[in-house]
Amino acid sequence: MTPEQKLQALFAAETPPARDYAFQAQVAQRIALRRAWMTVAALVPWGVAAVAILWALIPVVGPLGEDIAALVPAAGMLAGAAVSAGAALWLSRRFSAA
Amino acid sequence: MSGILTDAELVSRALTGSDAAFSRLVERHQAAVRGFLRRALGGGWAEADDVAQDAFLAAWRSLRSLKDPAGVRPWLCGIAWRKAQDRIRSSRRGAARDSVWLETVDTPAGVSHEDRLSMAAAMAELPPDVRACVALCLADGWSHGEASAALGLPLGTVKSHVARGRARLLKALGGSDDA
Repeated sequence: MTPEQKLQALFAAETPPARDYAFQAQVAQRIALRRAWMTVAALVPWGVAAVAILWALIPVVGPLGEDIAALVPAAGMLAGAAVSAGAALWLSRRFSAA
Repeated sequence: MSGILTDAELVSRALTGSDAAFSRLVERHQAAVRGFLRRALGGGWAEADDVAQDAFLAAWRSLRSLKDPAGVRPWLCGIAWRKAQDRIRSSRRGAARDSVWLETVDTPAGVSHEDRLSMAAAMAELPPDVRACVALCLADGWSHGEASAALGLPLGTVKSHVARGRARLLKALGGSDDA
């Protein structure tokens, strides 16, 4: 073989297979992980906004404390259920984009 | 999804959130990107694949910055090259460690193990820019203009890098100085 032919043969030996499902799966896994972190990061501002709104409502809601106190357990459960359902719906839509 | 979608169509679908379309792009271009990195990095193939994954992840994040959706491969190789440069700068490895992986690779028919070692040593001695130009133009058959665009190097620099790299590699494989 000439040096030129050897060069081409050695270059060709380094060429990966045209299809490599293991590599593709690893890339897909890293993308899914990144997407999950981005989803969590996107929820942070909403959480901050919710806390700020609740904090701003304290002067309004505070005087009604005794009347509302009786409703707190039920309202808390309802609010928790609503938030969970909303989050689940939103996340399922987000991840079914593909 | 059929296999006849163009790169531009796949990019368009990926931009709307289709992970399947982006996976198709990975499938279509992984061999070119990984092959380029194997030659440009000059180390073990596992490291090249690791950098290739970083490159595809970066590409997924910055898909909107792709100006020419039909030119996915040069764009991907450009990202891969920048990742490779970071890796080269951050990890200066010893030549002995670099050559260990060669023992695990099959040597092509008609080429001796000594030739392979000589070739690896000659590639390792080339400056990174020269290695990248050699990898794209000599190994993958890219034009000088395509390599220039992908690597962000002037056209004349690419031409001289390719000529210099080719001469050194051929000399290492038994050719003459002016090969």
